Amino acid sequence: MEIGTMIKALQDPMGIPFYPVLFQVLMVLTFALHIMFVNFVLGTSFLSVYGYIKGDDYWKRLSKSMIRATTANISMAILLGVAPLLFVQVVYDPFWYASNMISGAWVMAFILIMMLGYSMVYVFYLKRDSRGGGFAAFGIGALALFILAGIIMHVLGYQLLQPEKWFGWYISGNSIDTSGTALHTFHIPRFLHFMIPSFALTGVFLMLYAWYFKDRADSDKEYLQWVARMGAKMAFVFTAIQAGVGFWWLFSLPLEFKFFVNPFFLVGAGLGVSLLFFLNNAQKDPFKYAVPAVIGAFLTVFGMSYTREALRMTYLRRFDYSIFDYKLNIDLGSTALFLSTFVMGLIIAGYMLTIAYKSGKTTGEYVPSPSIDKWGKISIALLLAWIVVVVSLGVVTSVRNYL
Amino acid sequence: MYPIWEVPNLSAGIILAIISTFHMLPSHLSVSAMWFNIYVETKSYRENRPELLEFVKKYTLFLLIFAYVFGSLSGVGIWYAATATNPRGISALIHNYVWGWATEWVFFIIEVTGIFIYYYTLGKVNIKTHLKIGWIFAIASWITMIIITGILAFMLSPGKWVQTGNFFDGFFNQTYWSQLFLRTTVMFAIGAVYAIIAATRLKNEDVKRLVVKTASKWGAGGLILAVIAAFWYLNTIPENADLLRSIIVPKGLKTGVLISLFAMILYFLYAHIKPLSIRLVPAVLAIAVLFAGIWSAERTRELFRKPYVISQYMYSNQIIAADVKPKGVKSEADVINEKGILKVSPFVPEGLRNINKDNMLQAGKLIALIECSACHVLEQKGLRPLPQMVKRLGFTEAEAAEGFIDSLGAIPYMPPFHGTSAEKKALAAYIVSLNR
Repeated sequence: MEIGTMIKALQDPMGIPFYPVLFQVLMVLTFALHIMFVNFVLGTSFLSVYGYIKGDDYWKRLSKSMIRATTANISMAILLGVAPLLFVQVVYDPFWYASNMISGAWVMAFILIMMLGYSMVYVFYLKRDSRGGGFAAFGIGALALFILAGIIMHVLGYQLLQPEKWFGWYISGNSIDTSGTALHTFHIPRFLHFMIPSFALTGVFLMLYAWYFKDRADSDKEYLQWVARMGAKMAFVFTAIQAGVGFWWLFSLPLEFKFFVNPFFLVGAGLGVSLLFFLNNAQKDPFKYAVPAVIGAFLTVFGMSYTREALRMTYLRRFDYSIFDYKLNIDLGSTALFLSTFVMGLIIAGYMLTIAYKSGKTTGEYVPSPSIDKWGKISIALLLAWIVVVVSLGVVTSVRNYL
Repeated sequence: MYPIWEVPNLSAGIILAIISTFHMLPSHLSVSAMWFNIYVETKSYRENRPELLEFVKKYTLFLLIFAYVFGSLSGVGIWYAATATNPRGISALIHNYVWGWATEWVFFIIEVTGIFIYYYTLGKVNIKTHLKIGWIFAIASWITMIIITGILAFMLSPGKWVQTGNFFDGFFNQTYWSQLFLRTTVMFAIGAVYAIIAATRLKNEDVKRLVVKTASKWGAGGLILAVIAAFWYLNTIPENADLLRSIIVPKGLKTGVLISLFAMILYFLYAHIKPLSIRLVPAVLAIAVLFAGIWSAERTRELFRKPYVISQYMYSNQIIAADVKPKGVKSEADVINEKGILKVSPFVPEGLRNINKDNMLQAGKLIALIECSACHVLEQKGLRPLPQMVKRLGFTEAEAAEGFIDSLGAIPYMPPFHGTSAEKKALAAYIVSLNR
């Protein structure tokens, strides 16, 4: 069967409920946030293990903070991974499912690996100071498992781009391999380009950490100074390495892609290089540059994520596939439900993050101002209003259809 | 049709069942726990009993780890397992309900940020603010149930969706409200069992007594209401499902639900009378009993959806069973019967696309993999093993097996065979070969 025809046959006949561009933007945006937190997980858990083993006062303190951050970072990474996982199945279903089915055992192993790794992080976090020692093994084990999980995701994402090889992987002669136990392809520069930023982004994370706590009355200025400097240095050095790996990846791509003149690539690379210059400047005063560094890092990751999407489009254009040709079955009702809920969710999450932000900067008990308090009341009211609207819609629908 | 992933001697479907049943525990805990927390925290605030917060802290850490490590990962795991088991089924659900899931995800954002902030700000912000975060978490959590129930109920009873293709027609279908009520009541029982576990770790006996007594009331109350909800639910399920419930659901599952229910009510009663005598091990064992009940109930729900993965739309073996005109979707039966399943499926060895004497058994096996393996393993052991069924039916001649294949559509829980007559012969030959 011709590959382009096969892919069209595999596409879901239901079509999609809104224009593909919205799914693409949401997919790339949530992927960018997801991969940032994945990088935070790898970087913070690495620093924590390193600090725990090194054992001097500053490192010990940092190790404790970092592993606590890891627990939240993993949760965020999982949460933010759900959205791109959903959207990739909407617009790239033939590729995603085929790649998954060919390595089915690994797809399931991924879940177990993450559960085990996350549990080990909690053991390392909660038991690290108990007697007996040997808890570093939990940290190291967790880190190894997270890297393995990264390898699995990398392979699934890379197999997806090569439909021309699927038959060869799955079929030999007259028999098929239904075990799903093989990971078939690996691209070192591509993988490294997802891994190296762990250290660059965690560097930025450290700058932010130091900046955040520096104004607290009980803060240790010297320690925070040490953290901020180390963070800025890490961010710069690893961004530089990342740029090198990026070009390695670029030159490893098929020449006919002409990816070096792709506008998305040019913007993404431009953002990366600007970030490098910016981080070089930030060495002078890491505290002052902390917040802009986070914004700059996010913009770069977002730009790079769109570059990755542009690369995927380039790979798949070889088979005449474009998400913009996806069959449409526009459903305005459910699209409106999501978009309005999304705005509402930002308002509510914003309230809670404000409480977290402000209380973390306060040494005693934090009492919010009346306006923030009102924000909280509005948040609860919005949730109740959501229930009222949706349940009413449900009752009207049910009455119309069944009574 | 996508490539097939087989789990020898077990089946991919069982992996999905294990993960999704397991997910019931942390997910329903997550939805119910905060209501209990708010109750205890408000009591602590109103009656000026700060010692009660010891429980809130323990229970929340438990929730944080159990629900947000194992719960969120097993939730993703359901998607992965559904993908690896039935990619076209999950694809159909996602292409209809992507905005439903995306909307649920917004509430996940509120939940995940909420639970961390609730845990880490306990004692660090004033209690009114802390309670507000608790309320936000509790309501947002319950909303995730409002949403996912619609998608789950759709799989059994897509309602008017089949005619209209409308999102909400499929969502608010005839089994929606009863299932929402059922899940809401069960969640309080699950939350209560966990609260008792957290209480066994408390040092203060007064707090332990209060928590166990309250939790056992919530738990027993939840279960009693769940019984009412279950009757309502069974009353709303479609006719075919009701029929299947009486003919194919094994008695063991029904007994499982009843024993678990009875044991749990007794457990809550005992806990209520002797709250201080509950120790960690029996409290954890109670989870196993509850799990057995949930397993039986969920397996029942899966069974009476047969022969479909999405009722009236897609068979368990991923073949589209009926037109959905408003979406421009056509049943695949005609095309497959005319051209052949081995011709229209992409992932078929070229040497098996045309059946001849030499490749007949291989082709038959592949057809069995495509059309039967979702519910029957091809090995001797595992989920409804095909070889054992063939032995029981006693097929020794291909003609007899062919006649049986022809009659499949008349069995209410089996999808009809799809394919050409040559393919039917190949499948029959393969089936008979299993009896040798």
